[in-house]
Amino acid sequence: MNAGLRAAIAVEARKAAASRVMASVTALLVLGVGALSLGMLLAAASGDEQVLAKLGPLAGVGGWAGLIGVVLQITAAGGLLAFGVALSWLFGREFADGTVAALFALPVSRPAIAMAKLVVYLAWAIGVAVVLTGIVAVLGFAMGYGVTDAAGVATLLRIPVLVVLTALIAVPAAWAATIGRGLLPGIAATVGIVVVAQVFAIADAGAWVPIVAPALWAIAPASVPAAALLTVPSVPIVFGGLCALAWARLQLDR
Amino acid sequence: MTEPAPLLRLEARGLVREFPGGAGVHGIDLDVAPGEVHALVGLNGAGKTTLMRILLGMLRTDRGDARIDGVDLRSAGPDTWRRVGHVVEHPFAYAELTGRGNLAIAARLRGVPRDDVDAAVDRVIDEFDLARYANVRASRLSLGNRQRLGLAAALLHEPSFVVLDEPTNALDPAGVILLRESLVRRAAAGAGILVSSHHLDEVARIAHRITVINDGRVIGELDPAGIDLERAFFAQVHADVAGRVA
Repeated sequence: MNAGLRAAIAVEARKAAASRVMASVTALLVLGVGALSLGMLLAAASGDEQVLAKLGPLAGVGGWAGLIGVVLQITAAGGLLAFGVALSWLFGREFADGTVAALFALPVSRPAIAMAKLVVYLAWAIGVAVVLTGIVAVLGFAMGYGVTDAAGVATLLRIPVLVVLTALIAVPAAWAATIGRGLLPGIAATVGIVVVAQVFAIADAGAWVPIVAPALWAIAPASVPAAALLTVPSVPIVFGGLCALAWARLQLDR
Repeated sequence: MTEPAPLLRLEARGLVREFPGGAGVHGIDLDVAPGEVHALVGLNGAGKTTLMRILLGMLRTDRGDARIDGVDLRSAGPDTWRRVGHVVEHPFAYAELTGRGNLAIAARLRGVPRDDVDAAVDRVIDEFDLARYANVRASRLSLGNRQRLGLAAALLHEPSFVVLDEPTNALDPAGVILLRESLVRRAAAGAGILVSSHHLDEVARIAHRITVINDGRVIGELDPAGIDLERAFFAQVHADVAGRVA
Protein backbone atom coordinates (compact mmCIF):
# COMPACT_ATOMS: atom_id res chain seq x y z
CA MET A 1 0.00 0.00 0.00
CA ASN A 2 1.51 3.36 -0.91
CA ALA A 3 2.09 6.13 1.62
CA GLY A 4 -0.66 8.34 0.18
CA LEU A 5 -3.34 5.69 0.53
CA ARG A 6 -2.14 4.84 4.04
CA ALA A 7 -2.38 8.49 5.09
CA ALA A 8 -5.80 8.83 3.44
CA ILE A 9 -7.13 5.77 5.28
CA ALA A 10 -5.90 7.15 8.61
CA VAL A 11 -7.58 10.49 7.84
CA GLU A 12 -10.88 8.99 6.69
CA ALA A 13 -10.98 6.60 9.66
CA ARG A 14 -10.52 9.52 12.04
CA LYS A 15 -13.29 11.52 10.34
CA ALA A 16 -15.69 8.56 10.38
CA ALA A 17 -14.93 7.68 14.00
CA ALA A 18 -15.66 11.24 15.12
CA SER A 19 -18.79 11.56 13.02
CA ARG A 20 -22.20 11.66 14.64
CA VAL A 21 -23.76 10.64 11.34
CA MET A 22 -21.84 7.36 11.25
CA ALA A 23 -22.54 6.74 14.96
CA SER A 24 -26.28 7.34 14.41
CA VAL A 25 -26.43 5.09 11.34
CA THR A 26 -24.62 2.35 13.26
CA ALA A 27 -26.99 2.61 16.22
CA LEU A 28 -30.07 2.72 14.00
CA LEU A 29 -28.90 -0.25 11.99
CA VAL A 30 -27.80 -2.49 14.84
CA LEU A 31 -30.41 -1.64 17.44
CA GLY A 32 -33.16 -0.98 14.90
CA VAL A 33 -32.81 -4.34 13.17
CA GLY A 34 -32.63 -6.08 16.54
CA ALA A 35 -35.71 -4.33 17.90
CA LEU A 36 -37.72 -4.72 14.68
CA SER A 37 -36.89 -8.41 14.47
CA LEU A 38 -37.94 -9.00 18.04
CA GLY A 39 -41.13 -7.00 17.49
CA MET A 40 -42.06 -8.93 14.35
CA LEU A 41 -41.41 -12.25 16.03
CA LEU A 42 -43.57 -11.31 19.01
CA ALA A 43 -46.33 -9.98 16.73
CA ALA A 44 -46.18 -13.16 14.61
CA ALA A 45 -46.38 -15.29 17.75
CA SER A 46 -49.51 -13.37 18.74
CA GLY A 47 -51.04 -14.21 15.33
CA ASP A 48 -51.06 -10.67 13.81
CA GLU A 49 -52.23 -11.30 10.24
CA GLN A 50 -50.49 -8.30 8.67
CA VAL A 51 -47.14 -9.32 10.14
CA LEU A 52 -47.71 -12.94 9.09
CA ALA A 53 -48.42 -11.76 5.54
CA LYS A 54 -45.18 -9.69 5.53
CA LEU A 55 -43.16 -12.66 6.75
CA GLY A 56 -44.50 -14.84 3.92
CA PRO A 57 -42.86 -18.28 3.95
CA LEU A 58 -41.11 -17.41 7.22
CA ALA A 59 -44.41 -17.27 9.11
CA GLY A 60 -44.65 -20.28 11.31
CA VAL A 61 -40.94 -21.08 11.10
CA GLY A 62 -39.64 -21.23 14.65
CA GLY A 63 -36.25 -21.38 16.33
CA TRP A 64 -33.09 -19.85 14.92
CA ALA A 65 -34.29 -20.15 11.31
CA GLY A 66 -37.37 -18.03 12.07
CA LEU A 67 -35.45 -15.35 13.99
CA ILE A 68 -32.61 -15.14 11.48
CA GLY A 69 -35.00 -15.19 8.53
CA VAL A 70 -36.71 -12.08 9.91
CA VAL A 71 -33.37 -10.37 10.62
CA LEU A 72 -32.18 -11.07 7.07
CA GLN A 73 -35.37 -9.80 5.49
CA ILE A 74 -35.18 -6.54 7.42
CA THR A 75 -31.45 -6.14 6.81
CA ALA A 76 -31.74 -6.73 3.06
CA ALA A 77 -33.97 -3.66 2.72
CA GLY A 78 -33.37 -1.49 5.81
CA GLY A 79 -29.68 -2.32 5.99
CA LEU A 80 -29.18 -1.43 2.35
CA LEU A 81 -30.81 1.95 2.97
CA ALA A 82 -28.58 2.56 6.00
CA PHE A 83 -25.43 1.59 4.09
CA GLY A 84 -26.43 3.86 1.22
CA VAL A 85 -26.99 6.76 3.60
CA ALA A 86 -23.57 6.17 5.18
CA LEU A 87 -21.86 6.13 1.76
CA SER A 88 -23.80 9.18 0.58
CA TRP A 89 -22.61 11.03 3.64
CA LEU A 90 -18.99 9.83 3.40
CA PHE A 91 -18.73 11.06 -0.20
CA GLY A 92 -21.45 13.71 -0.54
CA ARG A 93 -20.57 15.64 2.59
CA GLU A 94 -17.33 16.88 1.03
CA PHE A 95 -19.45 18.71 -1.54
CA ALA A 96 -22.27 19.70 0.81
CA ASP A 97 -19.82 21.07 3.41
CA GLY A 98 -17.54 22.66 0.82
CA THR A 99 -14.51 20.76 2.14
CA VAL A 100 -13.86 19.24 -1.29
CA ALA A 101 -11.77 22.29 -2.30
CA ALA A 102 -9.33 21.44 0.49
CA LEU A 103 -8.81 17.97 -1.01
CA PHE A 104 -7.12 19.40 -4.12
CA ALA A 105 -3.42 20.24 -4.48
CA LEU A 106 -2.34 17.67 -1.89
CA PRO A 107 0.40 15.03 -2.11
CA VAL A 108 -2.34 12.49 -1.34
CA SER A 109 -4.29 12.04 -4.57
CA ARG A 110 -8.06 12.34 -4.75
CA PRO A 111 -8.51 8.77 -6.04
CA ALA A 112 -6.54 7.62 -2.95
CA ILE A 113 -8.95 9.62 -0.78
CA ALA A 114 -11.95 8.04 -2.54
CA MET A 115 -10.46 4.55 -2.14
CA ALA A 116 -9.72 5.27 1.52
CA LYS A 117 -13.36 6.21 2.06
CA LEU A 118 -14.42 2.86 0.61
CA VAL A 119 -11.87 0.94 2.70
CA VAL A 120 -13.09 2.65 5.89
CA TYR A 121 -16.69 2.02 4.85
CA LEU A 122 -16.06 -1.70 4.31
CA ALA A 123 -14.21 -2.03 7.61
CA TRP A 124 -17.13 -0.32 9.34
CA ALA A 125 -19.64 -2.60 7.56
CA ILE A 126 -17.73 -5.68 8.74
CA GLY A 127 -17.86 -4.29 12.28
CA VAL A 128 -21.61 -3.74 11.93
CA ALA A 129 -21.98 -7.35 10.69
CA VAL A 130 -20.14 -8.71 13.72
CA VAL A 131 -22.07 -6.60 16.24
CA LEU A 132 -25.45 -7.34 14.65
CA THR A 133 -24.68 -11.07 14.65
CA GLY A 134 -23.76 -10.82 18.33
CA ILE A 135 -27.00 -9.03 19.19
CA VAL A 136 -29.11 -11.58 17.30
CA ALA A 137 -27.23 -14.41 19.05
CA VAL A 138 -27.98 -12.86 22.43
CA LEU A 139 -31.61 -12.40 21.38
CA GLY A 140 -31.87 -16.06 20.26
CA PHE A 141 -30.30 -17.46 23.39
CA ALA A 142 -32.54 -15.20 25.51
CA MET A 143 -35.56 -16.70 23.74
CA GLY A 144 -34.29 -20.16 24.66
CA TYR A 145 -33.27 -21.30 21.17
CA GLY A 146 -29.93 -22.48 22.62
CA VAL A 147 -31.85 -25.34 24.23
CA THR A 148 -34.83 -25.86 21.95
CA ASP A 149 -32.96 -25.52 18.62
CA ALA A 150 -29.27 -26.10 19.36
CA ALA A 151 -28.52 -27.37 15.85
CA GLY A 152 -29.94 -24.23 14.21
CA VAL A 153 -27.34 -21.91 15.73
CA ALA A 154 -25.08 -22.33 12.69
CA THR A 155 -27.61 -20.35 10.61
CA LEU A 156 -26.38 -17.27 12.50
CA LEU A 157 -23.51 -17.21 10.02
CA ARG A 158 -25.93 -16.09 7.32
CA ILE A 159 -26.18 -12.70 9.06
CA PRO A 160 -22.59 -11.44 8.59
CA VAL A 161 -22.61 -12.80 5.02
CA LEU A 162 -25.78 -10.91 4.14
CA VAL A 163 -24.70 -7.72 5.94
CA VAL A 164 -21.40 -7.60 4.04
CA LEU A 165 -23.04 -8.47 0.69
CA THR A 166 -25.63 -5.75 1.30
CA ALA A 167 -22.86 -3.27 2.10
CA LEU A 168 -21.14 -4.19 -1.18
CA ILE A 169 -24.17 -3.56 -3.37
CA ALA A 170 -24.66 -0.09 -1.82
CA VAL A 171 -21.38 1.19 -3.34
CA PRO A 172 -23.07 2.80 -6.40
CA ALA A 173 -24.39 5.38 -3.88
CA ALA A 174 -20.79 6.63 -3.46
CA TRP A 175 -20.46 7.14 -7.20
CA ALA A 176 -23.87 8.86 -7.42
CA ALA A 177 -22.97 11.20 -4.53
CA THR A 178 -19.73 12.10 -6.34
CA ILE A 179 -21.27 12.64 -9.76
CA GLY A 180 -24.25 14.51 -8.27
CA ARG A 181 -22.01 16.49 -5.86
CA GLY A 182 -24.04 15.94 -2.72
CA LEU A 183 -25.86 13.58 -0.38
CA LEU A 184 -29.24 13.43 -2.11
CA PRO A 185 -28.08 11.81 -5.37
CA GLY A 186 -26.43 9.06 -3.30
CA ILE A 187 -29.58 8.51 -1.28
CA ALA A 188 -31.69 8.49 -4.45
CA ALA A 189 -29.39 5.84 -5.95
CA THR A 190 -29.76 3.78 -2.77
CA VAL A 191 -33.54 3.95 -2.89
CA GLY A 192 -33.34 2.83 -6.52
CA ILE A 193 -31.22 -0.20 -5.60
CA VAL A 194 -33.57 -1.08 -2.72
CA VAL A 195 -36.59 -0.94 -5.00
CA VAL A 196 -34.98 -3.03 -7.76
CA ALA A 197 -33.62 -5.58 -5.29
CA GLN A 198 -36.89 -5.95 -3.40
CA VAL A 199 -39.15 -6.09 -6.45
CA PHE A 200 -37.01 -8.81 -8.06
CA ALA A 201 -36.64 -10.68 -4.78
CA ILE A 202 -40.36 -10.72 -4.13
CA ALA A 203 -40.90 -11.94 -7.71
CA ASP A 204 -38.33 -14.65 -6.95
CA ALA A 205 -36.24 -13.60 -9.95
CA GLY A 206 -32.77 -12.21 -10.62
CA ALA A 207 -30.58 -14.61 -8.67
CA TRP A 208 -27.74 -13.80 -11.07
CA VAL A 209 -28.23 -10.02 -10.89
CA PRO A 210 -25.60 -8.87 -8.35
CA ILE A 211 -27.75 -6.16 -6.74
CA VAL A 212 -30.68 -8.60 -6.38
CA ALA A 213 -28.89 -11.75 -5.21
CA PRO A 214 -28.43 -10.75 -1.53
CA ALA A 215 -32.10 -9.78 -1.02
CA LEU A 216 -33.31 -12.91 -2.81
CA TRP A 217 -30.92 -15.04 -0.75
CA ALA A 218 -32.35 -13.42 2.40
CA ILE A 219 -35.94 -14.35 1.49
CA ALA A 220 -35.43 -17.63 -0.36
CA PRO A 221 -31.92 -18.99 0.14
CA ALA A 222 -32.57 -22.10 -1.92
CA SER A 223 -33.22 -20.09 -5.07
CA VAL A 224 -29.76 -18.44 -5.07
CA PRO A 225 -26.77 -20.65 -5.93
CA ALA A 226 -23.55 -19.86 -4.02
CA ALA A 227 -21.86 -18.92 -7.31
CA ALA A 228 -24.48 -16.20 -7.83
CA LEU A 229 -23.45 -14.60 -4.51
CA LEU A 230 -19.87 -14.57 -5.78
CA THR A 231 -20.94 -12.13 -8.52
CA VAL A 232 -21.85 -9.52 -5.88
CA PRO A 233 -18.27 -8.13 -5.49
CA SER A 234 -18.45 -7.04 -9.13
CA VAL A 235 -20.67 -4.14 -7.98
CA PRO A 236 -18.10 -2.51 -5.64
CA ILE A 237 -15.28 -3.30 -8.07
CA VAL A 238 -17.01 -1.55 -10.99
CA PHE A 239 -18.43 1.34 -8.99
CA GLY A 240 -15.30 1.69 -6.84
CA GLY A 241 -13.35 2.07 -10.10
CA LEU A 242 -15.86 4.62 -11.38
CA CYS A 243 -15.54 6.51 -8.08
CA ALA A 244 -11.74 6.64 -8.34
CA LEU A 245 -12.05 7.86 -11.94
CA ALA A 246 -14.65 10.50 -11.02
CA TRP A 247 -12.45 11.80 -8.18
CA ALA A 248 -9.38 11.86 -10.43
CA ARG A 249 -11.23 13.88 -13.07
CA LEU A 250 -13.10 16.08 -10.62
CA GLN A 251 -13.30 19.81 -11.39
CA LEU A 252 -14.92 22.49 -9.26
CA ASP A 253 -16.82 23.87 -12.20
CA ARG A 254 -20.39 23.81 -10.88
CA MET B 1 24.43 19.95 -1.43
CA THR B 2 21.26 22.08 -1.40
CA GLU B 3 19.05 22.39 -4.47
CA PRO B 4 19.36 25.69 -6.33
CA ALA B 5 16.34 27.91 -5.65
CA PRO B 6 13.94 27.95 -8.62
CA LEU B 7 13.67 31.18 -10.49
CA LEU B 8 9.94 31.37 -9.90
CA ARG B 9 7.54 29.70 -7.48
CA LEU B 10 4.76 30.23 -10.00
CA GLU B 11 4.97 30.92 -13.69
CA ALA B 12 1.65 31.05 -15.57
CA ARG B 13 1.30 31.91 -19.23
CA GLY B 14 -1.80 32.55 -21.31
CA LEU B 15 -4.25 30.86 -18.93
CA VAL B 16 -7.71 30.58 -20.45
CA ARG B 17 -10.79 28.97 -18.94
CA GLU B 18 -14.10 30.20 -20.21
CA PHE B 19 -17.55 29.42 -18.89
CA PRO B 20 -20.83 29.69 -20.78
CA GLY B 21 -21.95 33.32 -20.65
CA GLY B 22 -18.43 34.71 -20.94
CA ALA B 23 -17.20 34.44 -17.34
CA GLY B 24 -13.82 32.93 -16.52
CA VAL B 25 -10.24 33.95 -17.25
CA HIS B 26 -9.29 35.03 -20.75
CA GLY B 27 -5.52 34.84 -21.06
CA ILE B 28 -3.68 35.60 -17.84
CA ASP B 29 0.09 35.69 -17.30
CA LEU B 30 1.24 35.67 -13.70
CA ASP B 31 4.49 35.13 -11.79
CA VAL B 32 5.29 34.73 -8.14
CA ALA B 33 8.97 34.83 -7.20
CA PRO B 34 10.51 33.19 -4.12
CA GLY B 35 10.20 35.59 -1.18
CA GLU B 36 7.44 37.56 -2.88
CA VAL B 37 3.92 38.33 -1.67
CA HIS B 38 1.90 38.91 -4.82
CA ALA B 39 -1.60 40.25 -4.29
CA LEU B 40 -4.51 39.97 -6.70
CA VAL B 41 -7.20 42.60 -6.43
CA GLY B 42 -10.39 42.90 -8.40
CA LEU B 43 -14.12 43.31 -8.07
CA ASN B 44 -16.34 40.33 -7.29
CA GLY B 45 -16.55 38.11 -10.36
CA ALA B 46 -13.30 39.47 -11.84
CA GLY B 47 -11.82 35.97 -12.09
CA LYS B 48 -9.51 35.85 -9.07
CA THR B 49 -10.97 32.67 -7.62
CA THR B 50 -11.17 30.98 -11.03
CA LEU B 51 -7.49 31.80 -11.57
CA MET B 52 -6.56 30.35 -8.17
CA ARG B 53 -8.64 27.24 -8.82
CA ILE B 54 -6.73 26.68 -12.07
CA LEU B 55 -3.39 27.04 -10.29
CA LEU B 56 -4.44 24.40 -7.72
CA GLY B 57 -5.76 21.87 -10.23
CA MET B 58 -9.39 22.44 -9.30
CA LEU B 59 -10.16 23.54 -12.87
CA ARG B 60 -8.52 22.50 -16.11
CA THR B 61 -7.55 25.19 -18.58
CA ASP B 62 -8.86 25.53 -22.11
CA ARG B 63 -5.42 26.93 -23.07
CA GLY B 64 -2.19 28.05 -21.46
CA ASP B 65 0.07 26.47 -18.91
CA ALA B 66 1.36 27.00 -15.41
CA ARG B 67 4.42 25.78 -13.53
CA ILE B 68 4.94 25.49 -9.81
CA ASP B 69 8.63 25.47 -8.87
CA GLY B 70 9.32 24.69 -12.52
CA VAL B 71 6.95 21.68 -12.73
CA ASP B 72 4.09 21.79 -15.23
CA LEU B 73 0.74 21.56 -13.41
CA ARG B 74 -0.43 18.78 -15.72
CA SER B 75 2.40 16.51 -14.59
CA ALA B 76 2.63 17.72 -10.97
CA GLY B 77 2.82 14.84 -8.50
CA PRO B 78 3.10 14.43 -4.73
CA ASP B 79 6.54 16.10 -4.57
CA THR B 80 5.14 19.30 -6.06
CA TRP B 81 1.87 19.37 -4.12
CA ARG B 82 3.72 18.68 -0.85
CA ARG B 83 5.20 22.16 -1.23
CA VAL B 84 1.86 23.91 -1.76
CA GLY B 85 -0.52 25.30 0.85
CA HIS B 86 -3.89 26.83 0.07
CA VAL B 87 -7.21 28.10 1.29
CA VAL B 88 -9.68 28.72 -1.52
CA GLU B 89 -13.23 29.51 -0.44
CA HIS B 90 -13.99 26.99 2.31
CA PRO B 91 -11.36 26.49 5.01
CA PHE B 92 -10.17 22.98 5.91
CA ALA B 93 -12.38 22.48 8.98
CA TYR B 94 -14.35 19.25 9.41
CA ALA B 95 -17.23 19.98 11.77
CA GLU B 96 -16.94 16.69 13.67
CA LEU B 97 -13.25 17.08 14.52
CA THR B 98 -11.61 19.31 17.11
CA GLY B 99 -9.18 22.02 16.15
CA ARG B 100 -6.28 19.69 16.90
CA GLY B 101 -7.94 16.80 15.06
CA ASN B 102 -8.40 18.93 11.95
CA LEU B 103 -4.79 20.09 12.02
CA ALA B 104 -3.55 16.52 12.51
CA ILE B 105 -5.40 15.19 9.48
CA ALA B 106 -4.36 18.24 7.44
CA ALA B 107 -0.75 17.41 8.30
CA ARG B 108 -1.16 13.79 7.18
CA LEU B 109 -2.79 14.87 3.90
CA ARG B 110 0.01 17.38 3.28
CA GLY B 111 2.67 14.72 3.58
CA VAL B 112 4.00 15.47 7.09
CA PRO B 113 5.56 12.18 8.34
CA ARG B 114 3.43 10.56 11.04
CA ASP B 115 6.08 11.02 13.72
CA ASP B 116 6.32 14.75 13.01
CA VAL B 117 2.59 15.49 13.01
CA ASP B 118 2.26 16.38 16.71
CA ALA B 119 5.19 18.79 16.61
CA ALA B 120 3.89 20.48 13.43
CA VAL B 121 0.40 20.80 14.96
CA ASP B 122 1.74 22.24 18.25
CA ARG B 123 3.83 24.76 16.34
CA VAL B 124 0.95 26.05 14.24
CA ILE B 125 -1.48 26.10 17.21
CA ASP B 126 1.01 28.37 18.90
CA GLU B 127 1.59 30.48 15.79
CA PHE B 128 -2.11 31.11 15.18
CA ASP B 129 -3.04 31.34 18.87
CA LEU B 130 -5.46 28.41 18.61
CA ALA B 131 -4.73 26.77 22.00
CA ARG B 132 -8.19 27.71 23.35
CA TYR B 133 -9.86 25.92 20.44
CA ALA B 134 -7.55 22.92 20.15
CA ASN B 135 -10.03 20.63 21.89
CA VAL B 136 -13.23 22.25 20.63
CA ARG B 137 -15.15 20.72 17.71
CA ALA B 138 -14.97 22.86 14.57
CA SER B 139 -18.79 22.88 14.44
CA ARG B 140 -18.74 25.02 17.58
CA LEU B 141 -16.16 27.51 16.32
CA SER B 142 -17.10 30.96 15.02
CA LEU B 143 -16.65 31.61 11.30
CA GLY B 144 -13.52 33.64 12.03
CA ASN B 145 -11.95 30.94 14.15
CA ARG B 146 -12.75 28.32 11.51
CA GLN B 147 -10.96 30.54 8.99
CA ARG B 148 -7.99 30.83 11.36
CA LEU B 149 -7.99 27.03 11.69
CA GLY B 150 -8.09 26.66 7.90
CA LEU B 151 -5.13 29.02 7.48
CA ALA B 152 -3.17 27.11 10.10
CA ALA B 153 -3.99 23.84 8.27
CA ALA B 154 -2.76 25.34 4.98
CA LEU B 155 0.55 26.55 6.40
CA LEU B 156 1.56 23.92 8.97
CA HIS B 157 3.79 22.00 6.56
CA GLU B 158 5.85 25.10 5.68
CA PRO B 159 4.85 25.25 1.99
CA SER B 160 7.07 27.07 -0.48
CA PHE B 161 4.10 28.23 -2.59
CA VAL B 162 1.00 29.54 -0.84
CA VAL B 163 -2.36 30.42 -2.45
CA LEU B 164 -4.90 32.21 -0.27
CA ASP B 165 -8.25 33.46 -1.56
CA GLU B 166 -9.59 36.28 0.60
CA PRO B 167 -7.76 34.93 3.67
CA THR B 168 -8.85 37.72 6.01
CA ASN B 169 -12.55 36.97 5.47
CA ALA B 170 -14.24 36.81 8.87
CA LEU B 171 -10.92 37.17 10.74
CA ASP B 172 -10.87 39.51 13.74
CA PRO B 173 -8.16 42.21 13.89
CA ALA B 174 -5.93 39.94 15.99
CA GLY B 175 -6.28 37.17 13.40
CA VAL B 176 -5.44 39.59 10.59
CA ILE B 177 -2.22 40.58 12.36
CA LEU B 178 -1.28 36.93 13.02
CA LEU B 179 -1.84 36.08 9.37
CA ARG B 180 0.11 39.09 8.16
CA GLU B 181 3.08 38.23 10.38
CA SER B 182 2.91 34.60 9.32
CA LEU B 183 2.98 35.48 5.62
CA VAL B 184 5.77 38.01 5.99
CA ARG B 185 7.85 35.46 7.89
CA ARG B 186 7.23 32.74 5.31
CA ALA B 187 8.05 35.05 2.42
CA ALA B 188 11.26 36.07 4.15
CA ALA B 189 12.14 32.36 4.34
CA GLY B 190 11.73 32.03 0.57
CA ALA B 191 8.08 31.08 0.07
CA GLY B 192 6.13 32.61 -2.81
CA ILE B 193 2.70 33.83 -1.74
CA LEU B 194 -0.28 34.60 -3.95
CA VAL B 195 -3.12 36.24 -2.09
CA SER B 196 -6.38 37.81 -3.19
CA SER B 197 -8.14 40.46 -1.21
CA HIS B 198 -10.80 43.14 -1.30
CA HIS B 199 -8.99 45.18 1.32
CA LEU B 200 -6.53 47.38 -0.50
CA ASP B 201 -5.00 48.89 2.65
CA GLU B 202 -4.36 45.52 4.13
CA VAL B 203 -2.84 44.19 0.90
CA ALA B 204 -0.58 47.22 0.66
CA ARG B 205 0.91 46.43 4.07
CA ILE B 206 2.46 43.16 3.02
CA ALA B 207 2.38 42.81 -0.78
CA HIS B 208 5.48 43.37 -2.84
CA ARG B 209 3.39 43.45 -5.98
CA ILE B 210 -0.32 44.12 -6.58
CA THR B 211 -1.95 42.96 -9.81
CA VAL B 212 -5.36 44.25 -10.81
CA ILE B 213 -7.73 41.81 -12.47
CA ASN B 214 -10.93 42.72 -14.24
CA ASP B 215 -13.23 40.63 -16.38
CA GLY B 216 -10.81 37.70 -16.44
CA ARG B 217 -7.78 39.72 -17.56
CA VAL B 218 -4.81 41.43 -15.94
CA ILE B 219 -5.41 45.14 -16.48
CA GLY B 220 -2.52 46.65 -14.55
CA GLU B 221 -0.55 46.90 -11.36
CA LEU B 222 -0.77 49.07 -8.27
CA ASP B 223 2.20 50.42 -6.36
CA PRO B 224 1.98 49.03 -2.80
CA ALA B 225 3.70 52.20 -1.59
CA GLY B 226 1.20 54.37 -3.46
CA ILE B 227 -0.83 56.95 -1.58
CA ASP B 228 -4.43 56.48 -2.72
CA LEU B 229 -4.70 52.85 -3.80
CA GLU B 230 -8.49 52.91 -3.95
CA ARG B 231 -8.56 55.79 -6.41
CA ALA B 232 -5.84 54.17 -8.55
CA PHE B 233 -7.69 50.84 -8.49
CA PHE B 234 -11.01 52.28 -9.64
CA ALA B 235 -9.29 54.42 -12.27
CA GLN B 236 -7.84 51.26 -13.82
CA VAL B 237 -11.13 49.32 -13.61
CA HIS B 238 -13.17 52.16 -15.10
CA ALA B 239 -10.64 52.71 -17.89
CA ASP B 240 -10.78 48.99 -18.69
CA VAL B 241 -14.57 48.94 -18.78
CA ALA B 242 -14.70 52.13 -20.88
CA GLY B 243 -12.04 50.77 -23.25
CA ARG B 244 -13.99 47.59 -23.90
CA VAL B 245 -17.31 49.40 -24.34
CA ALA B 246 -15.70 51.72 -26.87
